[in-house]
Amino acid sequence: MKKFLVFLEQREGIVKQSSLSAWNRVQELAALDGNSVVAGILAGPVDTGQLDGAMAGDGVIYHAGEDGLGVYNQERYTRVVADTFTREACTDLFFADTVMARDMAPRLSVRIQASLLSGRTTLDGDDGVSRRVYSGSFQASFVPTRQPRIYILSSSAPVPAFPDGGRINFIDIEPQQWTVEDLFPMVRRIIMGEGPPDVAEARIVVAGGRGMGSAEGFALIEQLASLLGGAVGASRTAVDSGWRSHAEQIGQTGKTVAPALYFACGISGAVQHLAGIGSAGVVVAINSDRGAPIFDAADYGLVGDVHIVLPKLIDLVKEFLKKQ
Amino acid sequence: MNIAVCVCSVPDTASVVGYLDGAIDYSRVNMVINPFDEYALEEALRFKERVEGSVVTVFSFAPDSAKEVLRKALAMGADRAVRVSCSEDALQPSDPFLTALGLSRAISGFYGAILPDLVFCGKQSTDFQSAQVPSMLAELLGMASVSGITSLHPSGEFLRVEREIEGGIEAIDVTFPAVLSAEKGLNEPRNTSIRGVMEARKKTIDLFQVSLLEEPFVVLSGVEPLERKKICCFVPDEHELLRILSHDCNLL
Repeated sequence: MKKFLVFLEQREGIVKQSSLSAWNRVQELAALDGNSVVAGILAGPVDTGQLDGAMAGDGVIYHAGEDGLGVYNQERYTRVVADTFTREACTDLFFADTVMARDMAPRLSVRIQASLLSGRTTLDGDDGVSRRVYSGSFQASFVPTRQPRIYILSSSAPVPAFPDGGRINFIDIEPQQWTVEDLFPMVRRIIMGEGPPDVAEARIVVAGGRGMGSAEGFALIEQLASLLGGAVGASRTAVDSGWRSHAEQIGQTGKTVAPALYFACGISGAVQHLAGIGSAGVVVAINSDRGAPIFDAADYGLVGDVHIVLPKLIDLVKEFLKKQ
Repeated sequence: MNIAVCVCSVPDTASVVGYLDGAIDYSRVNMVINPFDEYALEEALRFKERVEGSVVTVFSFAPDSAKEVLRKALAMGADRAVRVSCSEDALQPSDPFLTALGLSRAISGFYGAILPDLVFCGKQSTDFQSAQVPSMLAELLGMASVSGITSLHPSGEFLRVEREIEGGIEAIDVTFPAVLSAEKGLNEPRNTSIRGVMEARKKTIDLFQVSLLEEPFVVLSGVEPLERKKICCFVPDEHELLRILSHDCNLL
């Protein structure tokens, strides 16, 4: 029998949607296995009432609700998760793909001597993981060699439709004695951005490249993104030219995105950019050069100058949305 | 202050990585320093310029052929370069654990009882993109770590660093010693001068042998080339594009 432990990430007392999705996906995997149980580990003070009806299947959630775990602390979180994993004799640990997971999981892997694999989809019962490497030129298969295993779930895999509202029991974990040494690194402050969604999480991404011509040229990109409720993305050229911040860069040295709809405007389609959009759904390319490699990575192409095409498209989208 | 920097070499993004007999073919590939490691090295050099008497030592767990990356690091201004090698032919760039273990043994062995105050790494290599080595290395060295930093400011006994999180920025205080992994945006790496390159030619690259008998945590069982090409449907105008996206694809 396998015992799956899911890390439930909270910020400011709110459990993240990506963690709830991870929980539901692991429930699906357990159902596929037939003989597995699912448990959760939740660190930080959280009103667990918010989880009523939001989680599928049955399971136990171990809740370390002490105030000292309110904000992420690498050492304390690692210890709470490692202790729970070992005490409850778990076999597999799952994370949603987040910054916190990427910070903590490698440390946990060494501490509990577990194989760590990222990019897993739970739709098959396979222990291994297949993911893209070398800028998306290859699909590589990785196999774990250790018995305890840690998986960071692929954020682009679909979340199963699962009946919500399983029977969840909460078990409180007693506060621990912490020392000053394990206080650092300490999160001092969190500055949340406002407005548009993060490019890595958005359902629609409108990205611009060299063809936008300037920082001002991105006003068109912002307008279309805002109309569609999407996020703004940028190519490396646009970021290196100082037109946009690195947080918006898509590609090998930027983010990997998996939106349902991706607009590449004035982006030529260098290999390092395509590396970031391999998991995107429908790709639309708008470029004045019909020979640009971006069209080989696009589902739909419109040949034309972005400065002429985008204003027209924006007007049409406005009309379309009015009729909705 | 002792500062260690871990670097590796990766295929230049402009190179075509080939496929031959079921394996990746590197014959037409031009190897360069991993871009994220360049940010790590630049930050280490800036630290050295602020704190007098600092020594920057660069480590690379790599075959002899990858020495050029260490030369480049010396040319940028690193004081010493160490190539880490293992006798057991256990060099497996696809297993982050063995890479981290090799580096941790080299760093512990090289510095002896007093570990470096800071270890800089790139947040990930651009080839396998696991992003696991820095935190694993920190755990093995018994140090704290912060992954993917975009800014760093010393403030008394603390280092104030920032990193991007989902939808915002996290400001973190960290104490020495620590492992910090660099994200793009941390700095603008310097160009190497002709003088720097000439001086780097004269410096020796130390060799540090480590013993690695452990099993890897993860094994690469196969690679397949991906056909990325889509068949692009060219649309005549904006009207048709909007009709397809809203009506045919139901995406708007």
